Amino acid sequence: MDILIQQFVNALSLGGTYALLALGLAMVFSVLGLINFAHGDLMTLTGYAMFFAIGAGLGLPLAIVLGIACATLAAVAMERVAFRPVRDANTATMLLTSLAVSTILHMLFQNLISARPRAIPVPSWMIGAVDVGGLAIGVIQLMSITATALLLIALSVFLRRSILGIAMRAAALDFPVTRLMGINANAVVATAFGLSGLLAGVAGVLWLAQRGSVDPLMGFLPVLKAFIAVVLGGLGSLAGAVVGGFALAFIEVFLRAFLPDGWLPFRESITLTLVIVLLLVRPEGLIGRRENVR
Amino acid sequence: MFRASTTRIAAVAAGLVAAGGVAQGDSHGITIGYAGGFTGYLAPYDQPSLNGVQLALDQINAAGGIMGMPVEIVVKDTRSDTAQAAVVAQELIDEGVVAMIVSCDVDPAVASGVMAQAAEIPSASSCASTPTLPAAVGPYMFSNYTADNLQGAVLAEYARGQGYENAYILLSRDTPYTEKLPEYFGEAFEAMGGTVVAVGEYTMGQQDFSAEVTNIGGLDPSPDVIQTSAYEPDFPAFIKQLRAAGIDTPVLGSDGIDSPTTFALGDVAEGVVFSNAGFASPGSALEAFEMAYEEKYGMPNDTVFTATGYDLMMVIAAAIEAAGSTDGPAIRDAWDNLENVQVATGSITYKDQNRVPVRVVALNQVSGGERVHVGDFSPDSSMIPAP
Repeated sequence: MDILIQQFVNALSLGGTYALLALGLAMVFSVLGLINFAHGDLMTLTGYAMFFAIGAGLGLPLAIVLGIACATLAAVAMERVAFRPVRDANTATMLLTSLAVSTILHMLFQNLISARPRAIPVPSWMIGAVDVGGLAIGVIQLMSITATALLLIALSVFLRRSILGIAMRAAALDFPVTRLMGINANAVVATAFGLSGLLAGVAGVLWLAQRGSVDPLMGFLPVLKAFIAVVLGGLGSLAGAVVGGFALAFIEVFLRAFLPDGWLPFRESITLTLVIVLLLVRPEGLIGRRENVR
Repeated sequence: MFRASTTRIAAVAAGLVAAGGVAQGDSHGITIGYAGGFTGYLAPYDQPSLNGVQLALDQINAAGGIMGMPVEIVVKDTRSDTAQAAVVAQELIDEGVVAMIVSCDVDPAVASGVMAQAAEIPSASSCASTPTLPAAVGPYMFSNYTADNLQGAVLAEYARGQGYENAYILLSRDTPYTEKLPEYFGEAFEAMGGTVVAVGEYTMGQQDFSAEVTNIGGLDPSPDVIQTSAYEPDFPAFIKQLRAAGIDTPVLGSDGIDSPTTFALGDVAEGVVFSNAGFASPGSALEAFEMAYEEKYGMPNDTVFTATGYDLMMVIAAAIEAAGSTDGPAIRDAWDNLENVQVATGSITYKDQNRVPVRVVALNQVSGGERVHVGDFSPDSSMIPAP
């Protein structure tokens, strides 16, 4: 029973980072219909900002703030420079643009900073574990769960109470009609990108604290996981992205913990097979809404 | 930082010019080709290798070249793509290279190697460590880097020497390196009388090792030592979560963790022992290499792949010199018979080794954020698991 609860906490903490990333992807998708494959590279930018900030002697707390700010600003800049010019083009054009942005960033990191990983030292108190009712919960795990919970609460307040938040939810349902209501499209899109950058920055800090280094290609795998989470939860649904992130983490952690040894090599295939089965049963995703056919 | 950046831009620009098909040198020079992954997932290995190769070239040319002829290198980027590796190799062959350096990973190395094999031009992978690579391509393909089975044997010998009886190995089937090296370790460890109590598996890039760590904590008998060839980002994540769970079993790693990240991990990495291609002890050739490297590039060397790139260029020069000719078959035969070539990491012998070199393996320990030399090892060949 203890091991079950322990693995539950493990899945909750991993699901937190998946959910943050997936929510960022879903936020941009809901307003633009674009899956931004350069989303993971915002985590990488967070890492390099932290690396240079620590190198300049600014200390970890300031480095974390700068790292998250850097990802947020970069996301807004990315929208302004790369996506706004092609906003009215079809979605395939935007998808290719996002892959191009990602590739260009990889090349810039590799050739202007370093192809080798750069170390980001993490203070030792972050590495320990705290004892909660007989469960060993890592400090980073605890930070991850707390940060996810706080951000999700703050976001849902923003989306429900502020004009821009309500406009974003409306845009997710029907962008043209939202614009007819007098909402500035650029403001909605820029806010969606800014928030996705903020979420990527926080997820980046949590992931960097575990891995201890930043390298040019580190954003690629997380964005794939987030993409799976978004599809699983339901494309276009913000709540779905969060649920999808946690669902993916639970499937992964429980398979790794409880599969018999001989089955371990197939854990990834089993994870993806489960995702496909879920999508066969619910093609619109776990919380996705059915498309209205008129 | 700025100087480093400009040299990198210069290196990339040089590659672009070469790819543009600018005429290569005069008819009296010797041309070597490098088909490497300078962008993409191999860049962390092939970029430093290229830096080492270029340093070696500078020294070779300053000393009068090979057989009195100047040497130059044509560098082409494979973008870490296996199909492109074959295309680029053919382009290099068409430009008349007499020997070729190919990518650090097995798949693109094979793709380039078979082209060179067909053209009877000797080639070697910069740092692929899978010992079966040369046999997979043919007699014109050589290895350069410390082979996985050699590292596994040295680590096993060390582990048994420390009196460890039970080992846990953690491997990933995502690459031959992360899968085979721990398996070679396990094989050698059991051949020396130890027991592998359990084998764990991970996926590269997995953030969360809590399931594996929980399993290790529950093992009976509990392991005396843990061996893994995981490298960053997997190794830091694993060892942080292992130590956070209160498990203080000694951990043995391999050369993949020879990186500044490992030394910046603090307390969790204290005492970790890992193998690599050499230790820069005072007065050693490697120390001289490190100083020359810093002088040329304006920043300290932070990886051993620069030194092994340098070594490979020196081996190629020695092979051509010994052949006394730029004829492919003659260079191949001379290369296959090289003995005790003095290089940055020590000495390299190819004679009677089926094109997988014998070279020294150094063991290092992480202590107080610094690297401490445990010793240099050359295990008896009967102790090295068959590839």
